[in-house]
Amino acid sequence: MYGIAAVFFIPFWRMFQLSIAPQDIVASGEFFWIPSDVTFEYWQRYLFQDLTIYRWAFNTLLIASIATLFVLVVDSMIAFSIARLSWPGQGIILGIILGSFMIPAYVNFIPLYTLINDLGLFNTYWAIIFPVAAGPLGVFLLVQFFQDIPTELEEAARLDGFSSFRIYSRIILPLSTPILAALGIFTFVTSWNQFLWPLIVLNNDQLYTLPIGVVTLRSVNALAPNVIMTSLALASMPLFIVFLLFQDKLISSIQMQAGTG
Amino acid sequence: MKGLYMSLFDWNFLSPAQSTFIGLGNYARLLQDPTYWNALWNTLEFVGLSVPLIVGLSLILALGLNKNLKGGRILQFVYFSPYVLTVSVVALIWVQLFADGGLGTTLVGSFISGTPLNSRFWAMPTIIITTVWWQTGFYFAVLLAARQSIPERLYEAARLDGAGPWRMFRDITLPNMRSGILFVVIASTVFQFQVFGQPYIMTNGGPAGSTETLVLYLYQLGFETRELGFGSAVGYTLLGILILVSVLNYYLIGGTNE
Repeated sequence: MYGIAAVFFIPFWRMFQLSIAPQDIVASGEFFWIPSDVTFEYWQRYLFQDLTIYRWAFNTLLIASIATLFVLVVDSMIAFSIARLSWPGQGIILGIILGSFMIPAYVNFIPLYTLINDLGLFNTYWAIIFPVAAGPLGVFLLVQFFQDIPTELEEAARLDGFSSFRIYSRIILPLSTPILAALGIFTFVTSWNQFLWPLIVLNNDQLYTLPIGVVTLRSVNALAPNVIMTSLALASMPLFIVFLLFQDKLISSIQMQAGTG
Repeated sequence: MKGLYMSLFDWNFLSPAQSTFIGLGNYARLLQDPTYWNALWNTLEFVGLSVPLIVGLSLILALGLNKNLKGGRILQFVYFSPYVLTVSVVALIWVQLFADGGLGTTLVGSFISGTPLNSRFWAMPTIIITTVWWQTGFYFAVLLAARQSIPERLYEAARLDGAGPWRMFRDITLPNMRSGILFVVIASTVFQFQVFGQPYIMTNGGPAGSTETLVLYLYQLGFETRELGFGSAVGYTLLGILILVSVLNYYLIGGTNE
C-alpha cells in the first residue's frame, strides 16, 4: 500500500523538482531525482512578473463559482418542486431529467455549439456556465434526499401558514446543508476542471480558463520543461487547497453518486 | 435530439437553411471511413486496457486501505489527489515523464528507440498509464465506501467457521460489493469511452493515427473541419455503443444475483 502510494506520488515530485531546476540541468537531458542546483526563478516569474496565470485563475474561479451557485439554487428548486409539490407532468419531467443523465455530454456538443452560436454567446463565460448549470446530477441527488425528509415537518409548517417558498427556504434547505455542500464542492471541482467544452467556445486568450491556458503555455516554452512545470504546479495549487479543506465532502459526494446511481 | 436530426444532413454551419437532407448518408459514409474505424479500434483498445486496470487497482487499494493501516488518511489523500487535477495538468506532467530525460523514458529506453510518445506501439500504453494514475482515485473512493458498508460481524462469523482469507473474499467481500463494483465498471467504461484530453494534449492522435480516439475525431470533424452533420453521426454511433456496453455490463455483473 505504501509502495503504491509512493508510485502515485512520483509524478507530483517530478513536477515540483523540475520546476525548481535551472535550465542547464534540464537541458542536459539526464534524469535526476533531486536537482543538483536549485532556482526559484520560474516561480518568481509567474508569481510576480508574468501575471497571465492570475488572469486565467480568476476566469476559472468566476466561472466555477457562478456555475456552482446556479446549480445549487436551480437544482434545489427543481428538486423541491418534484419531490414535495404535486403538479401535472411531474413524472415526465423527472423522466426526461433522468434520461439525459445517461447521455454523455459530448454527444450534445455539436448541437449545443450551434445553439450557443445562435444565441451569440460564443466567447463568453455564459457559454461555459449554462451547460454546467443544466446538469441532471444535482436534481437527481436532491430529489432523493428531499423525499426522505419526513412530511410531518411540512404539514406542521403548513398549519402555521407557511407558503411553499418558505417551506423550501426555511425547512428543506437548512436540513439539506450536508448534501448541498457536497454537491457544491463536486460541481466546483468538475466545472473548474472542464477542458473540451471551454476549448470549443473560447478563442480569446484573455478569457481562457486555467486548464486551457496552461496548454497554450507549452507551445511557447517547448524547450523549457521547468517553466512548464512551474505553471502546472501553480495551476494545480487552487484545487489542492480546495481538496485539503474539503477532502471529506468531495469524497462523500462521489460515494453518494455511486449509492444512488 | 437536435444532434440526431443534424446527423441526417450535410449540415451547413454558416447558413443552416442551406443544409441538404441526405438521410442516412452520413452513416453510410462512416461505414466506409477508415479514419472512423481506426478511431473506433483505438478507443476499444483504450477502454479494454484501461478499465480492467482502473477497476483492479482501485479494488486492491480499497481492500488494502480498509485494514486500519497506519497513516491511512494520508494514503487515501495520495491515491485520490490526482483526480482533482485537470486533464491538461495531468497530461502535461506525464508528457514530461515520458520525454527525454523523464523517468518513464529512462525505464523503457533500452527497449525502444526514441520516446514512448513517438512510438506507434507505446503511445497508447503511455496514455493508458496516465489515465490510470489520474482516474483510479475516484473509483477507489467508491469501492472503499462499498467495502466499509459490509458489517464486520459477517467476517467474525466466517472466522468462527474457520474460513480462510480467500473464502471470505469470495463469499463475503465480492457478493456484498457487487453493486459498488457494477457502478465502477459501468461508470469507468462510459467515461473512458469519451477519452479526449489525454490524446489531444499528449499526441494529438499521432503517431500515424495510433492514438486517434472517437471523441478526438468528433472534435476534429465538428470544430476544425466543421462537418457538423457527419460529426453528429459519429457521436450517435458512440452513444449507441455506450448504451449497448452498459446493458451488457449490467447483465454480466449485476444480473446473476437479481
